[in-house]
Amino acid sequence: MKAQKILTGIVVANTFAILTIAFTKWLSWHHGLLNDLGGVFIYSDFIIVPILMGIIAAYFWRDLSLSGGKYTLFAICNATVAIVGASIFLKEGYICLIIISPLLFGFTIGGTFIGKVMFKKNKNTLNVSVISLLLIVTTLDAFTAKPYENMVSDTMTINAPSEKVWQYVVAYEPIKEKENYWLFQAGMPSPVQSTVDCFCQGGGRKCIFSNGYVFDEKMVVYKPNIDLTFDITHQPRDPEIMGHIDILRGQFLLKDNGDGTTTLTGNSWYRLYVMPTWYFDTWASSITRNVHLRVMEHIKKLSEKNV
Amino acid sequence: MFEFTVKYLNVLKNIPFLPHIFDGFVKLHTFIFRREILHFIDEIEKAVLSWSGTSLKTHRYGGLEFDVNNKEIGHIHSNGLMDVLLKKEIKAQLIREGRIQDHHTFANSGWISFYIKTEADKNYALELLEYSYILKN
Repeated sequence: MKAQKILTGIVVANTFAILTIAFTKWLSWHHGLLNDLGGVFIYSDFIIVPILMGIIAAYFWRDLSLSGGKYTLFAICNATVAIVGASIFLKEGYICLIIISPLLFGFTIGGTFIGKVMFKKNKNTLNVSVISLLLIVTTLDAFTAKPYENMVSDTMTINAPSEKVWQYVVAYEPIKEKENYWLFQAGMPSPVQSTVDCFCQGGGRKCIFSNGYVFDEKMVVYKPNIDLTFDITHQPRDPEIMGHIDILRGQFLLKDNGDGTTTLTGNSWYRLYVMPTWYFDTWASSITRNVHLRVMEHIKKLSEKNV
Repeated sequence: MFEFTVKYLNVLKNIPFLPHIFDGFVKLHTFIFRREILHFIDEIEKAVLSWSGTSLKTHRYGGLEFDVNNKEIGHIHSNGLMDVLLKKEIKAQLIREGRIQDHHTFANSGWISFYIKTEADKNYALELLEYSYILKN
């Protein structure tokens, strides 16, 4: 009976989560926030929904006289089922699952203990009000959500003149150095090589990643030794990025320092479809920064090799 | 981590639900590394709720709050840090005895902080809560 109630709490909480996320994605899609998958993952999907999952599970567990440790354990199980569900129903890749896990565990455990105290007090009107308020906020959130755009910039000094650096900025041979960013080591694709159709403005450029995925780019600014700016015309349909982030534009700026060195600046612009941005943008900017650094370190090494 | 957050990110406690969620993360950490603390908190909860007129709620800044007649006796964060409001003279005496410390954010008040790590700490925490209960009741 006890096991059945625990299981029921987890099943109902996760069913609620699936239906709510489907509903909010549908709402945001209808509101005109189109991307590859239709709709965005709103603030509430990763915050209010896990809190409500915890509260719902706590409702089914309210008479079981569970200890704090057991509540925590079952809340972890509840969040784990949600993560497995996300990989099955939302086809999320494992890097995404690593990224969303801290949010889901923290908020589900938090929600479970909020629920534990709520249902201990037996104030049904208050409880219904709190849950209704959270559901209203979730619905409103779907209408107000907007994709978030950001730019990440990194700078590096290279001990080589700008004309030497330039030839490796436009296209470079494969990177063979070992990965040192933990997400790349965990299997996230990292940049390997860049190739171009022609060394000219308007030419096509390809950025090839370690798993074979290719970002197709068009060079929109081509000022030798100064500025290479390219728009992303097609990005791979990988579950880790599809519907979560669009890489919009990349740029390399070179500044001749007049002493035989060059300041290389790498800029990337992207649009995020997952919220809360304060959380996911921390990951996005960290990943973008490490993509920059991997490429820029390689350019530095090639440029300085024969100076 | 808890001390860092309380010291440098204290302003975030005013964002609705954020302290409760932070407490969720703290609970996860406690569950993994110091599970016995959750057991001590359960025992304190059981003991305090057996006192006449007491009730339980989530503390506005995260953790479990114990009340008597809708006045706070004290609260426990999920890392075992208990905060209790006493009279300043009682607080001064307890600090001299060396078992408690000034409140982690409200120094110069009647609030005291006490970390529950052992069975003996749990018993002492109950004594402190009982002081506060008598003062408020």
